Amino acid sequence: MRLGFIGFGTMGQPMVEHLLKAGHELRVWSRRAASADFAVALGALRCAAVAEVASGSEIVCTNVTANADVAGLADALRPALARGAIHLDFSTIAPGVAKTIAVAHAECGVDFVDAPVSGGGVGARNATLAIMWGGREELAPRLAPIFSALGKSAVRIGEAGAGQVAKACNQMILVNLIEACAEAAALAAAAGVDFTLVREAMLGGSAGSRALEVFGARMATRDFAAGVEARLHHKDYALLTDEATRIGAPLPVSATVWQQLNALMARGLGTQDTSSLLRVLETVRPESAR
Amino acid sequence: MNVGFIGLGLMGRPMALHLEKAGHALHLWARRPESLAPFAGVNAKTYAAPAQVAANADVVITMVADAPDVENVCLGADGLAAGGKPGLIVVDMSTINPNAARSIGSRLGEKGIEFVDAPVSGGETGAINAALTIMVGGKPEVFEKVKPLLEKMGKSVTLIGGSGAGQVAKACNQILTGVGVMAVAEAFNFAAKSGVDAAKVREALLGGFAYSKVLENHGQRMLDRNFKPGFKAWMHQKDLRIVMEEAHRMGLMLPSAAATAQVFNAIVGSGMGENDSITALQLLEKMSTPE
Repeated sequence: MRLGFIGFGTMGQPMVEHLLKAGHELRVWSRRAASADFAVALGALRCAAVAEVASGSEIVCTNVTANADVAGLADALRPALARGAIHLDFSTIAPGVAKTIAVAHAECGVDFVDAPVSGGGVGARNATLAIMWGGREELAPRLAPIFSALGKSAVRIGEAGAGQVAKACNQMILVNLIEACAEAAALAAAAGVDFTLVREAMLGGSAGSRALEVFGARMATRDFAAGVEARLHHKDYALLTDEATRIGAPLPVSATVWQQLNALMARGLGTQDTSSLLRVLETVRPESAR
Repeated sequence: MNVGFIGLGLMGRPMALHLEKAGHALHLWARRPESLAPFAGVNAKTYAAPAQVAANADVVITMVADAPDVENVCLGADGLAAGGKPGLIVVDMSTINPNAARSIGSRLGEKGIEFVDAPVSGGETGAINAALTIMVGGKPEVFEKVKPLLEKMGKSVTLIGGSGAGQVAKACNQILTGVGVMAVAEAFNFAAKSGVDAAKVREALLGGFAYSKVLENHGQRMLDRNFKPGFKAWMHQKDLRIVMEEAHRMGLMLPSAAATAQVFNAIVGSGMGENDSITALQLLEKMSTPE
């Protein structure tokens, strides 16, 4: 397929490599040309402008950070995309923003699909991402070759915006559990017990989880280098709590975890892994654990 | 003085009328023409756009719902900036994000228009009785010029600091009143579920360290089961959203405000948003009663 790709961060870079390996023709553009050099070296076509990516592609993928980044790219892509083309966004943004873009695209005969992913840098490298997407059901066959090149599962959640709702749920469960792991680690340490053994024992039981497995391990070994940069989870919490406020849904636990993330940011740990939530708790370590 | 006024709702209408009564000429624009009806027969001119209000006024006061509305009225097409002469003063009395206020202020400043943020506390009753508490952010010399106007609407007018500082004070006000209402509601529900008369508890506590205006006023309304607004719960939800947005931006841990904001989400989500914010008590009662 003739594809476009914009956004070459920790996630985007390996995704581009997988798409090229799968034999797709890829047009790329980046604000700083150097970010796309790796893709050009692998055979991608460098474009001078976003519109040029759009005019040559059946499907344009974007993978950037903020609401405003996706909205800005959407505005630049819209007039240049052919009728029937798809804008496939892998970024994590607000469901409301995704819906707004979808409506504007539809007026130009262009489809918007929100397809946020879970699995982090490791999942992107191993093409084992969990993809949750929102968009018209008829698009599924056209999206399937892309999804199968990038992930081990792709579930259509509903219309445009629904993928972002699923991602919000995903982030809430994951980060709330990371905080639970951090609190368990802090409690174990304060009680003079080895969290490595506590974690090992728990992994086989009802409290076992991916969070305990992956992030719990980083806490046990005190390896806080990213991983997943905590500032990205912090950003996600602003999106999901904002959505909760908009629809009047109470999220008492998530709101509390959000505050721990705020403290993490204030302590300058935003570029560290989210397992650093343990270090936020250690700021107020009980006497017995010192 | 020629005073422009935009935002003639529950709060804005009595506030504007106080200014007219004090001898000022009003210049008005309203999104909904029916909002202008109460001003027939007083010294007030109406216009087709905010730009024309700005062209005819020395000071323009805005009292609207949220940051995008203030932004629109000030900087949108036919907004105040399009008609205001250099030296015009815009006083925004809405409650909006402090950072948004700073941004609007600096963009108006580029056009030679002065901006102060002057959010209020005291609700509709305070507006009607000209008894509002007004918290101001802006340049001291601009504050001195508008202070006599503000004193016609409020009983306490304080310059807090530079641009945005009024909104910061209002955010602090909403943390204290939001968390305060929750504290009183939790205490009353605790007393009632323990089989103790909450009215007696309130009476006893008013004399001690737990005394607060919220315990006195909001507490009495809870005991009277008077959930009519006052200050609507959805507005408190909005104001706490602003608080939490700023906390997120700055990396500030606000655990109590965060928990309170979630209770207000639950209130709005369960259709109680039009009640006074003391409806938090009803939510707690519902959550502590078997299905």
